[in-house]
Formats: sequence, C-alpha cells, structure tokens
Amino acid sequence: MAKKRKSRFHATEAAAKIPRIVKDFTLDALRAKEDGKPTCYSFICCSYDEIIRAMDIVPIWTENFAGVCGAKHDAQRFLERAEAEGLSRSLCTYALCGIGFDAWREELGEMPPDSPWGGMPRPDMMLGSGQMLCDPRNKWYQASQHYMPDVPTFDLGLLWPPFEDGYDRKEVEDYYVKYNVEQLRALVDFLETQTGRKMDWDRLEAVVDLADRTWNIIWEAYELRRAVPTPMGTGDAMNTMVPMVFMMGTEEAYNFYSDLYDELKQKVDNGEGVIEDEKYRLIWGGGLPPWFALADFTYFNGKGAVFPVEITYRMVEAVYNLDMPKVSDPLERIAWRNCKYWTYWHDKARKRPGSHPDVERLIQYIEDYKIDGVVMHEAFSCRTWHVGLIWQLNQLKKIYRELPSLILESDIVDISSYSEVDTHNRIDTFIDALEASKNRP
Amino acid sequence: MRWRHRRTGRDLDMKDYFAGIDIGSTMTKVVIMNEEIVASLIVATSPEQRKMANRVMEDALSMAKISFSEVRYLVATGYGRINVPFADKQITEISCHARGVHYWLPSVRTIIDIGGQDCKAIRVKDGRVTNFIMNDRCAAGSGRFIEVIADTLGVDLGDMGRLSLSARQPVRISSTCTVFAEHEVVAKLAEGAALPDIIAGIHEAMARRIHGMARRIKIERDVAITGGGAKNIGLVTVLQDIIGSPTTVPEEPLLTGAIGAALLGKEIAKKGSPTPGERAPLAEASFFD
Repeated sequence: MAKKRKSRFHATEAAAKIPRIVKDFTLDALRAKEDGKPTCYSFICCSYDEIIRAMDIVPIWTENFAGVCGAKHDAQRFLERAEAEGLSRSLCTYALCGIGFDAWREELGEMPPDSPWGGMPRPDMMLGSGQMLCDPRNKWYQASQHYMPDVPTFDLGLLWPPFEDGYDRKEVEDYYVKYNVEQLRALVDFLETQTGRKMDWDRLEAVVDLADRTWNIIWEAYELRRAVPTPMGTGDAMNTMVPMVFMMGTEEAYNFYSDLYDELKQKVDNGEGVIEDEKYRLIWGGGLPPWFALADFTYFNGKGAVFPVEITYRMVEAVYNLDMPKVSDPLERIAWRNCKYWTYWHDKARKRPGSHPDVERLIQYIEDYKIDGVVMHEAFSCRTWHVGLIWQLNQLKKIYRELPSLILESDIVDISSYSEVDTHNRIDTFIDALEASKNRP
Repeated sequence: MRWRHRRTGRDLDMKDYFAGIDIGSTMTKVVIMNEEIVASLIVATSPEQRKMANRVMEDALSMAKISFSEVRYLVATGYGRINVPFADKQITEISCHARGVHYWLPSVRTIIDIGGQDCKAIRVKDGRVTNFIMNDRCAAGSGRFIEVIADTLGVDLGDMGRLSLSARQPVRISSTCTVFAEHEVVAKLAEGAALPDIIAGIHEAMARRIHGMARRIKIERDVAITGGGAKNIGLVTVLQDIIGSPTTVPEEPLLTGAIGAALLGKEIAKKGSPTPGERAPLAEASFFD
C-alpha cells in the first residue's frame, strides 16, 4: 500500500500540471477500453506513436504505469508478484512491475485492489519496441503474453548506425532508414489487420508535421534553460518530458511546450531562477531517475545546486538542425528523424580524438549550460540505459576536463534499493567537492 | 545557557584550540588540536549518540586540560554528525578524511577508507576531494563483514590480520554477500580447511570487492588506507597486492576524519567567516532535544 510521501517543489507551472495530465491519459485508456476503442500496450521513444495517433488507437503506456507505481511508493506488491511468478528481481523493474500487474489482473479477471490511478486495462495489442535502447522492451510483452495468450504482439526493430571510427555514418544511413521504413510499414499492416481500419496517409502526414513542430518548440523551450539563473531544473524536466514521450503527435503536446516556452521566456526576462542563490550548475548526465525520490532534486536545490540540463528524456533535437533529406512519405520522414536523432552527435564526436557521441553530448551541454559538475544515477535494474555511464564519465575527464561527479545508486521503481540518509550524505559530500573545486586556483 | 563566540579569524593565535568529532557507525573519534594534536580519543559508538558525544567531548577536554570555551571552532563529522548539537558546523566524513590524511600524508592521491558499516574510495588533491565513491549498501566490503566472520570462526577480531598471514593456501570464497559468505565459511570449516586459509580467503574476497569499487574512480598513487580495516594487516597486505602498488596506513588510521574535521574548523575560523553567533552548550542531551 502506498506510503505518505514528501512532495516535490515545482519551479514551473508547466511541471505542476503534469500529474493531472498523466492521470488524464491513464483514465483515457480505461475509458477507451470501456468504449470499445482499440488499445495497445506501448513504449516511449518507440517512433510509432504518430502511427497509432493517426489510426485512433489508444496507447497504454506500460513504462509510465510502472513509474507511477514507483512514484506513489506502490510498486513493491507488483514486483513481489512478478518474483512469485519466477521472474528474477535483477530484471528491469519497469517490466517486472508491469508483468506482475498483468499476472495479477488476469488471475483476478479485474484490476488488482486499489490499483494506482485505476490500473492498466487489458490491451487489444502489444507493440514492442526495443530498438537499440533497451532489450526488455523486446521481451516484456512476450512475457506478458503468457498471461494474455489471445493478445497479439508486434515487435518493432528500429536500428541506427552505431558510432565507429572506421566509417562515416552517412555511408550507411540510407540502408538503415530503408530497413526501418519496412519495419514501420509492417507495423501499419499489422495494425490495419488487427483493427480492420485503413491508414489515412494524409492524416499521418499531418500528425508527422505536428510532431516536427513539437520537436522544434521543445528544443527551443529547453534551450532557454541555459540562462543564469536557470528557470527550470531537471526535477521539473522529469515531469515536463511527459508530453514529449507519451503525447507526441497531439495538439495537446504542442500547446504544452508552447506554453512552457512562454513561461520560461518570461522567467528568463525577469531573471527568475529555480532558486534565488544559484551556486552550482549541474548536469543530470545519465540514468533514469529514482521515481520515488524526485524530492532529492529539492534537496540539491537546498544546497544551492540546480540542474539546467539533463541527458535523460531529452529525446528531441530541433528538426531543422538534423540535416533531414527532403522526402514526402510520412513513414520515411519518421524513419529519417529517428535515425538522425541518434546520429546527430556522430560528426561532432569524430572531430575530437577519443570522443563518442554520448561523451560529446555531455561536453556540449557542459559548455552550453555552464556546468560545474555531473550527476549520474545507476538504477540497478536498468542495464541497457546505464551501461557505459562510468566509462563516459572517465572519458569525459580524459578528453575534456576534470569535473566533480557523483554517481547515485538505487533503482527506477524498487524503493528497497534506496536509502535517503545515504543518498543525502553523498550529495552533501559532492557539494563539498564542488565548493572545493570552485575555490581551486 | 548560550554563549557568544568571541573573536574573528583575524586574531587567530597559537593558543586557539580546534576540535573534530567523528561519530562513525562503529567507533567515535575526537581530536583537539592547536598547532599539534593535544588530545585524542577513540571509543565505541553507543546508541544514544547525543549523550555519548557530550561525554567523549568532556573526556577529550579533560585530557587536553582546557575548557570548552577555549575551543575556537568545533566540526562534527561521520554519519552521526547531526547528533552533536554543540558543534559549530557539520561536514561530511569524506571531506574530513581527505583533509585529515593530507595532514599526515600530503602525497596521497587516493584514500580507501574501510569503515565499520561502509567503505569509500576518495580521490584527493591538496587535501580536497576531487572524486569519491561509496559502498554503503552492502556489508561485504566493510568492517562488519570481518566482524561477522570472526564471530563465526570464534576468533578475536584483533587476531584476524595476524592469523591470515600464516595462510598456506587461501580458500576461495565465491560469495559477495556477507550472509552467504558466512555459510561458505561454515562449509569450509566442515571440509577441514585451516583457519588461517579461511581468514586469508575472506580478506581476499573483501579486498577484491573494495578494489572493484575503488577502480571506478581510477586509483592514483600514493594510496592510503584508513578506517578500522586499515588495522587489519592481512587485509591491507592482500589489498596492496591486488591494487598492485604500495599503500600507506596513517599513524592512527581511525583518527583521520576527526583530525580533518578539526583542521577544516581551523580553516573556517581563519577565514573569519562564517563564525557562528552562538553555540549550543556542552550539556547532556538526548535524541529528543
């Protein structure tokens, strides 16, 4: 059962709206089920969100549900349920939480008691999308299918050229994009078969146009955070990422970031920061956050530290900076945008010996946002997003400069991995190191 | 009763005393110094930390033959630092260790502190922390690990290091969990393994775990080992072998945090700010105060 939690301070009005938005789309999925609309289990950063929006298929965001359970300190019972099903506790706790929930709901034939925000409805389809980000997102729905054998799954495999010294990504990008377009086309076929609806290609094109504009306004709004003092920190960005990853291709998402832009612009013009006395500017350099401990961002703020920028959940670039080829097929546009997002840092990294796109991105943000120190979070159950964090940090110091750094350790959902006392002790020490670093000649 | 601090940093002199109190999970350490250490104390940490802090401070003052009002600045550190109401400031133990080790061993660049309940690796430059990493989740890299095993083996904790040096063929302890390692030790005993070989195996398992953690911040020479673990010659020897470079143990490895606290207090007082306006009295207090 959920415990009473500390609330986190929001610097922006936009971030404060997010809990209601999340609740709304969670309830929308429940209502869609009742109304007989087609629903699908979906993953963030899937590149298919515009496709399902264009076909009026209602997404049920399974990672988000696990995050909500974590933030409400109510994930343990679903994790324990998954463990009782024989799944290892060392697997992704988003997946464990979701599978544990599915197993319980299917056994009961109704939602588990007091399910957070009404729970996740039984989907009509499950759309996997591991890409090169996360292998559980290929296997999760296959495991859930054990409890829902009648629910079909489709596993979308979008790839992008990996960074290597030996070749230029431009030589192979075209090949990757062709493959990805075929994947997306196969998904459309699958959705048409399952729903009995035909894709409206004009509508998809309009949705892709809207998504392009949304990418641009997000990038422009977030760039305002370069200001000193910064008008918004990562604690808020962990909220404002919601429309970016769960509502892409909707007018609501575009309007949200348009409002955020206006709000941040006003704050910058008024010299209004997250905190009054900004002493240390930090980057959240990687790792998914501990959803149950977002109040730690307020703890950082209390020490004079702010996070003007983060790597995590900054899932967009300005489309006009991506050197996109002129293509008209909306599936090709989606495929190119996805590919270019991942290869955006390749050229910059190639120019700096020993660099890597992930390291180059850190360096660029450190420069652009006047960063004093790096904080990363190692969530023990999230292997794929966290592999290489230490290497990136060491490489950063090797090829760029020595910056104070802090590695926090816990999990995304599993609260048993977290100790507030130890975490605050680490933060205190890190602040000491930042102070010493600032005073060093 | 509360009393006011008397002077600013500009009139600091040889007669000024500074104190550091380091309340660790297992041991509490106090140092009083002016130019040199004039008194130091190491006692077991007791559950009522506020009362204990008061008592050990009085004992240290008595050893130094000074009154509390002669202590110009007092810094509390360690995980129990918030339980020292009469401290002028609380500073984290990592910063204090860095400063304290620098006092004795200025060439040290990496400190490995093996405490009672946790273990830390700290990179330092000129006595200041440049990077650090902690293991505070698992007892397997801490003094607690050795305590549990010593208890299982019926060996006095202080004899563990010496005994392990006579090992001929250290056993392989594969578990990285204290509870499972304890089971493994019982099994090895049943198999007839020699006591020194088992203890050496335990030290090796622990040293590998500590080394794995310390490597994450890149171990740079010179390396110092502090904390209670530094008093275990068997553990220090095997850790040194695994690191592949000589290590140094400070004169009194338990005191570096308290020394660092006193030195940082001195630096703060020297700067003249932020001098606290008032300090809580040295009087018996409990958790409820």
